[in-house]
Amino acid sequence: MADPSEKRKEVKKKIRKLEGLPTLPPIIQKLNALIEDERSSLTQIADLIEKDQVITTKVLRLANSAFYGFPRKVSTVQQAIMLLGINVLKILIMTSSIFEIISKEDVGLWEHSLGVAACSKILAEMKEVSDPQEIATAGLLHDLAKVVQMMAFKEDYEEVKRKVEAGVAPLQAELEVFGIDHAEMGAFLMQQWNLPERLIEMVYSHHDFSRSKKFRKESALLHLADLLVQARGYGERTYVGLPPFDPKALTILKVDPLEIKEIYLKLEPKLYELKFFTEELKREIT
Amino acid sequence: MQRLPLSYIRPGMKTFEEVVDAQGRVLCGKGIELTEPMIQKFQELGVSYITVEGTPVKLPWEKTLEEELELLEKRFSGVKDEFLLHVKEVLKEVLMMKHTSGAKNG
Repeated sequence: MADPSEKRKEVKKKIRKLEGLPTLPPIIQKLNALIEDERSSLTQIADLIEKDQVITTKVLRLANSAFYGFPRKVSTVQQAIMLLGINVLKILIMTSSIFEIISKEDVGLWEHSLGVAACSKILAEMKEVSDPQEIATAGLLHDLAKVVQMMAFKEDYEEVKRKVEAGVAPLQAELEVFGIDHAEMGAFLMQQWNLPERLIEMVYSHHDFSRSKKFRKESALLHLADLLVQARGYGERTYVGLPPFDPKALTILKVDPLEIKEIYLKLEPKLYELKFFTEELKREIT
Repeated sequence: MQRLPLSYIRPGMKTFEEVVDAQGRVLCGKGIELTEPMIQKFQELGVSYITVEGTPVKLPWEKTLEEELELLEKRFSGVKDEFLLHVKEVLKEVLMMKHTSGAKNG
């Protein structure tokens, strides 16, 4: 069997080179340039994005989904920028192809990610964490490394699945095969893509809260959101069980166990709506 | 009752709740039988969801309370942590609320 520490180096090297990964949409470079130019207007930015019909459709679809929960339909990129902010929109554009892969290849993972996005937003609003839309987007992204594993390390990914089916805990199986878990992998990829530091740390520590240093409240939030959605069983996974949970997250986030009911009562209607969203996507694919 | 996206609504379904548009304006009262022209109008006005009487649509992904509780037990099997057990009890409560009449989201 391969040495996990050697494998770990190989994985990081591949991610650093973005080998075997979905390429970033070509629009991103131009978009970055426009964003950095203080003179550019929202209209100019929206116009650039709208030139790419495929990206526009994907992004608007995400902007309209229940976890962001906008009361009115988002029909233009300009509206999406106003509601989500240009940074979140940029993240959606960059990761739109990843989400497409997830929704096609692993519906359970896709649903789980949507659920965590919705729960993250609810928690962010309840606990007054800044920019709930960005927080929701981190929820959507938190397991993105699984796509990296699926696409760039297919055989190893299958090996991990075999181990999990044989009863090995998923994180343990990943470490045995890859020498690195999907949380660290995801964070590393997000680093290559220059995504916000806050989101990177959230993803990095979503299974191991002790990893979070600077953005403790946000990391605690995602750690809890992931647990709550898994506990609810939204998004079928091979492994039937709960992820490790650090109760320190409750203290940092100032969540009282008595608030859990309120959280679930807010979450249920969102999960219900998101099911329709997923079904619609499935129909479009087939 | 059942809360459905507009694309699932068919003529003949009866409203269980008022139909509101995105701005919160009431478009239609409760207990009204929906017609094709009404559904068209709702679409134009950007209505997303309507709550109708009964459960006219069999949603393939919906589970019975028994099934949900069984899966819940599986997910929590072997769990001894106090907080996690509390989460389990809350989920039981929420699932039971959802499955008795009066639950808002089907």
